Amino acid sequence: MTTSAILLIAISVITTGLVLGVIFSLVAAGVTIVYGSIWLPNAANGQFFLTAALICWSFATWLAVPIWVAALLTLAVSLPISYLLEATLIRRFYDVPDRNIAYFVVTLGVTQILSGIFSVTYGRWSDQFNLPPMIGGVTFIGPFPMTNNRIFVLAAATVLLALLFAMLRFHPYGRALRAVFQNREAAALRGVNVRAIYRLSFALGMLSIFAGGILYGMAYSFDLTVAWTMAVTAFAIMIVGGPGSVLGAVVVGMVFGFTQAGVSIFTNPTLATFSYLAAMLVILLIKPSGLFSR
Amino acid sequence: MTALFVARDLCKRFGGVHALRNVDVVQRAGETLGMIGPNGSGKTSFVNAVTGELSLDSGKVDFAARDITGLRPHKVAGAGLARTFQAVRLFSRLSVRANLETAMLALGDKAHRLDAAERADVLDWLELDSRLDAEAGSLTLFEQRRLELAVRLMLRPQLIMLDEPVGGLAPGEIRAMMQILNDLKARCSIFVIEHTMRVIRELADRVIVLITGEKVADGPPVEILKNQRVIEQYLGTAHA
Amino acid sequence: MKGFLGTAVRPQLLVLLVAGVALALLVSANRFFAFVVGITMISIMWAAGMNLLTGYTGLVSLAYAGIAGISAYGTVGLVMRFGWSFWLAMPVAATGAAVVGVLLGLPSLRLKGFYFALSSLVIQTVLSLGFVYFVNLTNGDTGISQIPPPDIPLAGASFHGAAFDLLLTCAAWLSLVAAWAVTHSPFGRRLVAIREDEVLAEAIGIDVMRNKMLVFFVGSLFAGVGGALYATYVGFASPRSFDLLSSLSIWLMVAFGGRGTLMGPIIGALVLAPIPFMLQQYDTLKDVIYGALIIAVIVLMPGGVYGALLTCFRKAPAIRRRLLKHGGIVANDGSLRRS
Repeated sequence: MTTSAILLIAISVITTGLVLGVIFSLVAAGVTIVYGSIWLPNAANGQFFLTAALICWSFATWLAVPIWVAALLTLAVSLPISYLLEATLIRRFYDVPDRNIAYFVVTLGVTQILSGIFSVTYGRWSDQFNLPPMIGGVTFIGPFPMTNNRIFVLAAATVLLALLFAMLRFHPYGRALRAVFQNREAAALRGVNVRAIYRLSFALGMLSIFAGGILYGMAYSFDLTVAWTMAVTAFAIMIVGGPGSVLGAVVVGMVFGFTQAGVSIFTNPTLATFSYLAAMLVILLIKPSGLFSR
Repeated sequence: MTALFVARDLCKRFGGVHALRNVDVVQRAGETLGMIGPNGSGKTSFVNAVTGELSLDSGKVDFAARDITGLRPHKVAGAGLARTFQAVRLFSRLSVRANLETAMLALGDKAHRLDAAERADVLDWLELDSRLDAEAGSLTLFEQRRLELAVRLMLRPQLIMLDEPVGGLAPGEIRAMMQILNDLKARCSIFVIEHTMRVIRELADRVIVLITGEKVADGPPVEILKNQRVIEQYLGTAHA
Repeated sequence: MKGFLGTAVRPQLLVLLVAGVALALLVSANRFFAFVVGITMISIMWAAGMNLLTGYTGLVSLAYAGIAGISAYGTVGLVMRFGWSFWLAMPVAATGAAVVGVLLGLPSLRLKGFYFALSSLVIQTVLSLGFVYFVNLTNGDTGISQIPPPDIPLAGASFHGAAFDLLLTCAAWLSLVAAWAVTHSPFGRRLVAIREDEVLAEAIGIDVMRNKMLVFFVGSLFAGVGGALYATYVGFASPRSFDLLSSLSIWLMVAFGGRGTLMGPIIGALVLAPIPFMLQQYDTLKDVIYGALIIAVIVLMPGGVYGALLTCFRKAPAIRRRLLKHGGIVANDGSLRRS
């Protein structure tokens, strides 16, 4: 292979890896925050990821609003959805000792429902979905052309991740959240309204997942199967990175992003998903607390 | 008297924290040993390490002339060493009868099991025979603590390690429980963990003081009470 | 076994056998209904096995259908490629699948609750991918069709029609008897102890790991035998029949009917197994219905239908005594304390 071909492939993998990596990290961060605070393993995260992309597509296609409006509307829609789910399903288990398994099965149920609904609705209307680009045009990174749209997605996702980090670190809510992560009883004794934190975490987690879905839809065309792929990937990232660790979610998310990019160039992308499963199983069996556990 | 239980040089670290630091404990058959120390001093870690709940970093544990170091809890129980937990642990949703029957089944060897007369005797002594069909979780705390003892006795133990057996009981109940524990000595050796001297003083022949994972004193209660270091570091608060 | 044989002629078990045979004979004229009944019988067997894992031991195994699939493909392979009799192929394949079940479950024995469920989900996904990928063994997504029904030994004929339905009824009944025997044995008691409090169980001398391995093996046998019967009854085997949704629906039958009871899996199978058939053209509704039921079972009826019934009648002294006597029956959490 010529050097320019190698360079092209390398840059392609790096750029794709970056874009996928930040999106994976965003979604995984959302999943891990909710697990770390509420002890809720959200098996439906993939379906919510898809929901966000589909809702954004719907707004852009049917309401014919500019894509950025559709994106913001979609994010706004996540809030009542979060509230509804929290009030009906999630809240009742807050004081149950083994709630993580109950939540896991409940969210598997939610996955089934959403998957069924989508296959008779969106699934019938189209095989693939595309969101109109935010920014037109192409920028060249060396010999490699990258759409400005994808550069925007990369930038937006990075900014969102940075905001998430900053909030967890510096904002009072973020500090309260980390206190609840560590020790719920101790946090309650210090005056933290634990239930309010739970509600906020869930909303934040959903927001994160939705943001990931919207950005993914902007960067790539998608179909209904991304729900399953994303769910497996996000869970694997959470387990390997360490449940509750946002740092772990980002580091492992980036690694998986590059893995996905690399594997997709040379062979079947499903192999990448397979490798996440393998990694998750290995960590579960050897060090269940994950690589970046507290 | 022969050594029933010998723990030599037990060490266990959790990250940076030394839960157990070169702890040596010897208990002879028929002797009642007590262990006290402030909260977090390693008392429960000691029991957990000895009974296999917790893996030791180093050290050796012998029980009834058998090396039980590193054995899983069920094997330790099978060897004759039973333990109770700091917070009452029962099969709360099962009946009292079912709790006892489960313990009996645990010993695979049928010859080892208590016969009907022995069981009736235990239940009568612990005043549980009227509560056999009640759900274990519905019992009062005192009844539950007694049930815990009954369950352990189904295993024909030579030694029971009791982790804070009077925790949460009312003063009258504590007196009654101490009487029960004294009577228990006739059936098997006991090792009692408490964080107040009051209970230990009346029950134990010898007391071990554990502070931040280290054995600080080892002797009869009278001696311990006079030990300067122990008084300084600990007894001031523990005499409550 | 002496005690078991003495009480084996328990009224309920006999009634179930008679009811099952009557049902099979009743519908045999209408092949569609007979087919539904046949699948329900296999589901009862599957649910009985899943009940041992979930209801009695407290393990949510989402790899159950995958194990059934291994046995199904194994049986089909031995029968169609090597000409074995079904009655030789099925035990071999089912035992093989059970061994695989134990091996796969072994590393995750130490995992608790959610982590165990998650690792079982991963294993099921791997098995599903395997079924699709190893095309020369399984014919991949296309599936294997025209699977012959089990032969009638020494008769040179095969089980067809009503005879096959009766066979399935007997198989379902035998699996219920086996499950009953297990749960009323010392082993069954130990499983309940493990479910209720694993740490305490181990502290009083129960070898938790060994008992979990054993229940994995036994549960997987139920899965495997059911899988072999399923493939030969339907005449077709594909990865789709043994996927995550299949595991979830078997779990749902147990959870819906009532975990840790004898009647629970039966109720669950009777209600849920016919659903895909009743839905015919509204096939995709199945996902939504199952999803809703899964949520409903966790949120509304932790004790399942049977548990809910018991709660309604819990004041009746006979029921109270029954609930407490063996300690193996789980009504709604804390329902006995609420009056």
